Amino acid sequence: MWLSLSVVSACTRDPARTDDTLRLPLINDPIFNPVLAPDIGSVMVNKVLFPGLVRPDEGLRPAPDLAVSWQAAPDGLSWTFVLRPGVMWHDGAPFSARDVKFTFDQILDLASGSRLRSDFAAVDGVDIVDSLTVRFRLKAPFAPLLPLLGYNAGILPEHLLKGKKLTDAIAFNRSTPVGTGPFRIERVVPGASVTLVRNPSYYGTRPGVERIVFKVVPDVNAQVAQLRAGELDLITIEPANLGSVEGVAGVRVLQVPVVQHWYVGLNASTPLFASPLVRRALGYAINRKAIVAGVLKGYADLPGGTIPVALRDYYDSAAAPVPYAPDSARRLLAGAGWNPGPDGTLRNAQGKLFAFELLVDKGNPTREQSALAVQQDLARIGVKASIRTMEFAALVRDRLLPATYAAVLIWWTTPPDPDQFAFYATGQDNNHVKWSNRTADSLLSSGRETVDPGKRRAIYQAFQRLERDDPPVLVLFYPREIQAVSTRLDGIPKLGIRDALRHSERFRFARPGGLR
Amino acid sequence: MIAFLIRRLGHGLFVLFVVSTVTFAIMIAAPGGPSLLADPKLSVAERAAIEQRLGLDQPATVQYARWLGRAVRGDLGASFLYQTSTLSTIASRIPQTLLLAGTALLLTIGIGIPLGISAAARPGGRLDRLVTACSGIALAVPAFWLGMMLILVFAIWARLLPAGGAVTEGGNIGLLDRGRHLVLPALVLAAAGCAEVVRYTRSAARTTLALPFVATAQARGIPPRRVLWHHVLRHTLASVVSVIGLQLPRLVGGAAITETVFSWPGMGRLGVEAALGRDYPLVMAVTLVVSAGVVVASIVADVTQMLLDPRIRVT
Repeated sequence: MWLSLSVVSACTRDPARTDDTLRLPLINDPIFNPVLAPDIGSVMVNKVLFPGLVRPDEGLRPAPDLAVSWQAAPDGLSWTFVLRPGVMWHDGAPFSARDVKFTFDQILDLASGSRLRSDFAAVDGVDIVDSLTVRFRLKAPFAPLLPLLGYNAGILPEHLLKGKKLTDAIAFNRSTPVGTGPFRIERVVPGASVTLVRNPSYYGTRPGVERIVFKVVPDVNAQVAQLRAGELDLITIEPANLGSVEGVAGVRVLQVPVVQHWYVGLNASTPLFASPLVRRALGYAINRKAIVAGVLKGYADLPGGTIPVALRDYYDSAAAPVPYAPDSARRLLAGAGWNPGPDGTLRNAQGKLFAFELLVDKGNPTREQSALAVQQDLARIGVKASIRTMEFAALVRDRLLPATYAAVLIWWTTPPDPDQFAFYATGQDNNHVKWSNRTADSLLSSGRETVDPGKRRAIYQAFQRLERDDPPVLVLFYPREIQAVSTRLDGIPKLGIRDALRHSERFRFARPGGLR
Repeated sequence: MIAFLIRRLGHGLFVLFVVSTVTFAIMIAAPGGPSLLADPKLSVAERAAIEQRLGLDQPATVQYARWLGRAVRGDLGASFLYQTSTLSTIASRIPQTLLLAGTALLLTIGIGIPLGISAAARPGGRLDRLVTACSGIALAVPAFWLGMMLILVFAIWARLLPAGGAVTEGGNIGLLDRGRHLVLPALVLAAAGCAEVVRYTRSAARTTLALPFVATAQARGIPPRRVLWHHVLRHTLASVVSVIGLQLPRLVGGAAITETVFSWPGMGRLGVEAALGRDYPLVMAVTLVVSAGVVVASIVADVTQMLLDPRIRVT
């Protein structure tokens, strides 16, 4: 009996636990190609393997990575990047301007399977000036270029991928990727894990851990269990999971503002929501403070407009968050012809009830509970919202894209830039709420063309003031990413996990090789 | 016997055809669509390019005809999500599935049948009541709850076993490591099936015990233990085998929940991921492979039954 117990306890000292390995979860098997793969699993691994020309610093401003310096032409129609000398691909081949040109040729080619084309639609082409200098030619001045270069646009190796379709490079995409990042691929076990090992010839600081193991753990509850069992070192969780990590020995909880806004989108092409007055009124009726405290457990910021507080340089911090003012809401709606009937529900002169369907995707507790809170708040001013939960894919494809919905609770994750032309300018593909405001159109288009930071800030502050009177969507909150982290882990950049992985060389363990 | 096998295989192929048609129809009719296209950020042009690349711009009948044409030649296409061929994607998961399902099956048989027989020997006895109560609990408790509880107790509190995965990723992988990862998921996967087998064995053994040949054996002075573990067991097995055959689809295809809770890289989870992502080729391939497995398993069960009970003859 004693013997068997001691054998068991010997086994619990996991050999891999005491070495220098960072363990992170993925929710799906990745495709190792930043140009092709939009899913979160791929994005996370690709941020480590494939650096871009720039990367966001902790203030989300572009900092040098594969490019050491850059210069925009005075007319804003071209940008010249000087590349870092002496960089080697993981297979030892030299990195050069040809790789940058190759990557952007692929990004701009729809037939390549590129998922980054709309990010770089303003780019006309990339020219090689010399082996370490490239010039981006633009169709129009495009201020978001730098943040986008540091977002998903990892650089691919021309010498390995040239001459065939990116989607056909199965071996590269699934098992033997070659990048320039601080870690290179060591082993891929489909459905289970991706192991990266320190790249000895990395151009930056020497990576702080020997290996990064990405484990495929699709279920967040399983992730929490593995974190608590010491089998994962950093996970991101929903507010609903806080209870199972708070106060747990060996785990601490961090929070980081991320570039997201969560909102109730009201379809402005429906008669019900065409009027800015009505949208503004409904905005006043929502008790955001209660949602942030109750549903988000405080892990979110109260919103003004659609530009989140994480974009410090552009967020209009002078203005107070949208107030909770149900009386103003009732007054505004009465002015728009909506008055309470005998049962308290608002109706117009034709006797039509103010009632609509609010869509929300199934399975995410934060969004489902937020939808319930919105429903109850609206009921208090006599507006009847009935909630309908749908699978996300069905919600997007069958209702959001064809705009056959009245209201939807959803969110945008955007690059670290205030440019929201694609989401809120008239007639754009991603303007699912069908919002249209001529002043906003001109602000949004001059905002993406103005490179001067001071002028740009003024433009987006004007946009945020405009959103007060004519809200494109009812922003509910700006969430903070909640990271549950092993107390052994150190050097974590104060960024959302995706951006933090652009700095993967900084992660290290406080007591490498030490006992737990 | 040969004729029987050929006929059963013919039936099997027909079943596979029907399964594939129905699966395809349900998949196309289901709301939503491939998750690749469900990204609200895609522009109209990008969406069209993806649809064209994947052949989704064609009518459903054309898509199915193309799929069937390739399938009869053994080409089940490439996964939308993983880009690799669906068969190689599945093949990379099959060893893990067989390991988990095989262990669970051994547990099911190794625990279920002896317990069922023992319980039947003394109906109403202490063991019988315990077995009945435990099997009731095992049947009633959902797999994800049982899995989470076991993880909490053995991985988080006691730190005796790992909380997930099939091996220690990035560590030294030995037989011991594999074994430690296998214990909890195999127990969870076996729990409900084991309970079913216990109950079925118990009632089948009770029926057997009432048969005249048992009384005859006892009258001839054969020791009760031998009667129970030889005569009764063998007679009971013949009918229990078919219940075990029915466990196979659940062990292979229905292990998704257990595999998700324990991050086990098996087929069940692959099937769920494929279905959620509307990865049409992968859904079709997983369905076909699992169905083929079930068809084969049911043939094996029938043959085993014939060998165990000579009275069952090919008809």
